[in-house]
Amino acid sequence: MDYYRVLGLDPKLQLDLNELQQLFYARSRQLHPDRFARAEASVRDAALIESSLLNDAYRTLRDPLARAEYILKENGFDIGLQGTKDVPPELLEEVFDLNMALEELKAGDESARPQLSAARDNFEAMLAKSSAELDGLFAEYDQHPGPEPLKPIRALLNRRRYIQNLLRDVHGYLSN
Amino acid sequence: MAYSEKVVDHYTNPRNVGSMDKTDPNVGTGMVGAPECGDVMKLQIKVDPISGIIEDAKFKTFGCGSAIASSSLATEWLKGKTVDQAMQIKNTEIVTELALPPVKVHCSVLAEDAIKAAITDYKKKAVAAPALV
Repeated sequence: MDYYRVLGLDPKLQLDLNELQQLFYARSRQLHPDRFARAEASVRDAALIESSLLNDAYRTLRDPLARAEYILKENGFDIGLQGTKDVPPELLEEVFDLNMALEELKAGDESARPQLSAARDNFEAMLAKSSAELDGLFAEYDQHPGPEPLKPIRALLNRRRYIQNLLRDVHGYLSN
Repeated sequence: MAYSEKVVDHYTNPRNVGSMDKTDPNVGTGMVGAPECGDVMKLQIKVDPISGIIEDAKFKTFGCGSAIASSSLATEWLKGKTVDQAMQIKNTEIVTELALPPVKVHCSVLAEDAIKAAITDYKKKAVAAPALV
């Protein structure tokens, strides 16, 4: 887990964002190119590589979703690939119906609009609920790290992605 | 990346778009999705309960051109096949027929999953309410 190592952190899913920022600043200063101006080329290059890793690490770890995807990837999960089995059938039905409503609206049938607003509210509520759920799953993983507690996290992230894609489309149509 | 001619053909002129009554005991419905791209695919088969031959197939897919083409092709292939033959359809055959690039292989997997889901649904119904022969 290079992203955690470069910041000197334990590979936990729940991170204190203030602490993360402090660590990032401190490590950035240590790796600043000015400090290596007179160093040997190999040392300077190594610091540069580490510095670029540090930036990627910070950008990824400060976002809980990107952080979770990183941990999943490092544990050999490829998010998305097992999609079909991870998405509950009720959600698929809902996604399908919503897409139908979107299509009707595109075709100029305004009667689909109220259905869309209702669906948008519903999906937004689902997202909010899943954020709370994710916190709980993060805590569980931190207590018992391993592939088992990562499975529900992957499933939840898949559902979220689905919902987010949809919401983006719905927002687009409703604002027209 | 350019789509192959066959993908464009199925995409611009999809075959068998529509839906059938999913409460019909002879209709099997498969609904599958790919969260990574937000695709959702519904594929339905109507089976003659006596011969076991798929007489009709319909689909509706929300997704990219390759996903639409894969499911459109799948419905064409399904018609006239027995349920058991349909179970043998492999995503790799769809990849070959449509010349899908590697990044779009998952669309063909989705179509194969949809076929299997529809057949599974049909068989489940057939067990629950055996056809009167």
